Amino acid sequence: MDTNSLKKALLLMLVIVTIALVSWEIRLRKIGVQPTFDAGDVLWSDKRAMVYEPKDKVTVFIGSSRIHFDIDIPTWKTATGKQVVQLGIDGSSPMPVLTNLADDPNFKGNLIIDITEGLFFSTSPFNMEEPNKGLKYFKDRTYAQKASFQINKVLESRFAFLDKENFSMNAYLAELHLQNRPKVFEMPIWPWQFSGASFDNQAIMYPVFVSDTNLQVRVRNIWAMFAKMGEKDVPMHGKELDSLLNVVKVSVDKIKSRGGNVFFTRTPSSGPYLIGEQMGFPRDKYYERVLATTGCQGMHFQDYASTKNMICPEWSHLDQPQAVVFTKELIRVLRDEKGWKL
Amino acid sequence: MIFNSYTFVVFFIIVMILHNLPFSWKTKKINLLLASYIFYAAWNPVFILLLWLSTIIDFYVGKALYVQEDKRKKNILLVVSLIGNLCMLIFFKYGTFLLDNFVTLVNAFGVDFHPAKPNIILPAGISFYTFTTLCYTIDMYKKESAPVKSLLDFSLFVTFFPHLVAGPIVRPPQLVPQFENERKASQDQIIQGLFLLSLGLFMKVVLADSMLSVAANAVFNSNQPLASLDAWMGVLAFSGQIFFDFAGYSTCAIGVAACLGFALPQNFLYPYAAIGFSDFWRRWHITLSAWLRDYLYIPLGGNRNGKFKTYRNLMITMLLGGLWHGANWTFVAWGGLHGFYLWVEKAILDARKETSKPSFVPKFLLAMATFFLVNVTWVFFRAGTFAQAGSILQSMFGMMPKGNAVLTTLAIWKVGVIVVGMVIAQWLMRNRLVLDVIPKLSWWAFGSIWAFMLLLLIWSQESGSSFIYFQF
Repeated sequence: MDTNSLKKALLLMLVIVTIALVSWEIRLRKIGVQPTFDAGDVLWSDKRAMVYEPKDKVTVFIGSSRIHFDIDIPTWKTATGKQVVQLGIDGSSPMPVLTNLADDPNFKGNLIIDITEGLFFSTSPFNMEEPNKGLKYFKDRTYAQKASFQINKVLESRFAFLDKENFSMNAYLAELHLQNRPKVFEMPIWPWQFSGASFDNQAIMYPVFVSDTNLQVRVRNIWAMFAKMGEKDVPMHGKELDSLLNVVKVSVDKIKSRGGNVFFTRTPSSGPYLIGEQMGFPRDKYYERVLATTGCQGMHFQDYASTKNMICPEWSHLDQPQAVVFTKELIRVLRDEKGWKL
Repeated sequence: MIFNSYTFVVFFIIVMILHNLPFSWKTKKINLLLASYIFYAAWNPVFILLLWLSTIIDFYVGKALYVQEDKRKKNILLVVSLIGNLCMLIFFKYGTFLLDNFVTLVNAFGVDFHPAKPNIILPAGISFYTFTTLCYTIDMYKKESAPVKSLLDFSLFVTFFPHLVAGPIVRPPQLVPQFENERKASQDQIIQGLFLLSLGLFMKVVLADSMLSVAANAVFNSNQPLASLDAWMGVLAFSGQIFFDFAGYSTCAIGVAACLGFALPQNFLYPYAAIGFSDFWRRWHITLSAWLRDYLYIPLGGNRNGKFKTYRNLMITMLLGGLWHGANWTFVAWGGLHGFYLWVEKAILDARKETSKPSFVPKFLLAMATFFLVNVTWVFFRAGTFAQAGSILQSMFGMMPKGNAVLTTLAIWKVGVIVVGMVIAQWLMRNRLVLDVIPKLSWWAFGSIWAFMLLLLIWSQESGSSFIYFQF
C-alpha cells in the first residue's frame, strides 16, 4: 500500500471513529443520560487521599451504598462551608475502611459511619472484597495512574458514553440475558436510570427512575433476589457479634485518641426491606449496641420527624430531594444536639 | 507507565513532537532517554537508581571486557557484571522465594526458624532489562560485537521506553546501530506504527482484559472443585488472555518504536499455530527463547556432546526459563513440562529420521495437539499452588464428578468465540506478518478494520489494568 492509500485509510478511520462516537453521544443524551464518573477504585482513591484535611475543614463518610446516595454533598458544602470526603462503597462492609483509617496515624478528622445492618454486621469475604480492592489501589497507585485520573476526569465530565457500568461493551453484552446453568451466580444488572456518580463520589438517583415504577420494581426485585440468597444465613450474634463490636470499638478508640470524632448514622430504608432489616437486626440488639460499645453518638432516621417517614423509591436509597432533607437534618442534629462544630 | 493509559497517550504525543522538532540528533537522543526515565519513574521513581546502576556497571565493565586480554582479569570483570546484575534480580525477584524455601527446608530438619516476611517490591521489568544488559557484557566477553561508544547510546539501548518494561528483549546489534545515525520515521512508518499500537491495545484491552480475563480469573481464583466445562473454559481463557496481553504489549512496543523511526524485533509469530514445541518456542516470546538458546543452552553445550547432554541441556534451559517467569515452583514445573514435551518431540523426530517414515498426520491436527498440550502447561503457569493446579487438571480431565459450575453462559460464549477465532486467525496467518497483509487490502478496508478496532477499544472502557508480564 502506498503512502497515499495509507493516509486515506488513516483519514477514513478518523472519520468513522468520530462519526460513531458523536452519534453515540447524541443518542445517549437524547434518552436522558448525563456524564457521570465511574465510582470505582480510581475515584475512591482520589477521595481517600483527601482525609488528611483538618477536622474543622472536612468530614469523612464511610459505609455502603446508602451513605453514597443519602448524603447530598452540595447541600453539606453550602450549609457548613466545609468539604465532604465520601468513602462509601456500594454493597460492602465499612469495616476494612474503618480499620484502615484507624490505623492511619495521620487521620485525625470527623468520621461518620453508616450502619446498613446486613453489611455492617457481616464478616463475609464478599462484603470486604471491594473495600480491600480500593485500599490496595490507593496504596499502590502510581504517578502515572494519578495523572491518568486527572485526564480521565476531564473526559468523563464531558462524555456520557464513558460509563463502564452501563454503556461499555460488556454492559451491552450482559443485556443479552443468556440463560445460565443451575447454581451459576450472575450479578444482576441495575438499570442505568438508577443512578450516576458525581465527581464528589455521590450517587444520584436519576429523576426518570423516581418517576418510573417499572424501573423501581426491577431494582426491588434485585433486593428480593439478594434477600432470598441470604435467607438461610442467620444474622450475626453471640461471640461473633461481640468480636465484631470489639473491632469497631478498638478502631473508634484509636481515632478518638488522636483527637478525631466518630459518629454513627442509620440512613433510611422503607417497605419490606425495612421490615426485613428490623426482623433480622432488632435495633436494641444491633444499632444501639454499637453506640453503647463505642460510646459514640448516633442518628437513627426513625428518631426524627423529618426523616422517619421517608420513602425510598426502591426501598433502600433516597432520591436526591430526600437526600437534601436527610443531609440538612443530619447537620442540624450534629450541630444542635451533638455539639459538633460544623 | 503503561501503554493502555491516558498518561501514555499524552506522553507519547509530547515525545513525538519533540522527536520531530529540528534538534540535533544528540539532543533528540537525550530527549528519548529522559522520556524513557520518566516512563519508568511514573511507576516508582526510586527504582530508577537500579537502572542507572545496571547501566553504569555494564557500560564500563563491557568496555573493559572487550579490551582486556588477560584471561584471569577478564573472568573477574565478567563475574563483577554477573554479580551486579544477577544479585539485583535475585534479591528483588527471588529473595522471598529463597527465604521461604530455606525456612521450609530447615523446618523439615526440625529447626524452629520463622523469620518475618520480607516486604520486597519487585521493580517493574527487572527481568527484562537484566537480560538486556547481561547479553551485552557476555557479548563483550566473547567479543561478538563492538562496545557501544557512548554512554548516552548505551543508556538508551538499556532504557529505550518501548522495550524497557516487558521486552522484546533486544540485543546490542539489533538496537545500538540505530542510535548511531539520525532516525526519523517516514509517513508510512508512522501510520503503520500507529496501526500496530492500535492493534496491540485492541489485543490487550478488548480481547485479554474485556473478553477473557473474567473467565480466567473466575476459574483460577475459585477455591472449589470445578465442572469440566468450566475448568477447560478457564484454561482456554487464560491461554488467550496471556497471548493477547503479552503479544499485545510487544505489538504496541514495535508500533511505538516504529513511530519514532526505530525497528524492534518480532516477539510473537502466531504461537498457537505452532506444529510441535520447537516450533512453539520459535513463535512464543521469540526474543526470550533466542536469549536462552544463545546465552544458556549453547554455552551449556547445546546438542554438541551427545544425546544425553543434549536432553539435559534442554531441560536445564527450560527449567531456568520457567523460573525466569516467576519466583514459584509452579513456574519451574511449567518450564519442566515444556522441557519434557521438547524431549518427547526430539525423541520422535530422531526416531522418525532413522526410519524415514513419512508423516500422515495433517499439520493442522498436529498444531491442535500442540495447542492442547500447551494449554495443560498454562495450568501450572497461572495456578498459585500445585494443589490448585492439580485440582484444575482433575476437573479438566473429568476426575471431579461433582465439580461446580462457576462461569456464566455469556462468559463461556465469549471464551469460545474468541479462542476459536484466535486459533483460526493464527493458523491462517502463520507464515505472514500483519504488515505484509496490509498492502493486500484496499485503503477503505484497512481504514474500516482500524476504525472497528479503535471503536471496540473505546467501547470496552477497560481502564489501565497492568500487563501480566510486568510481574515477571
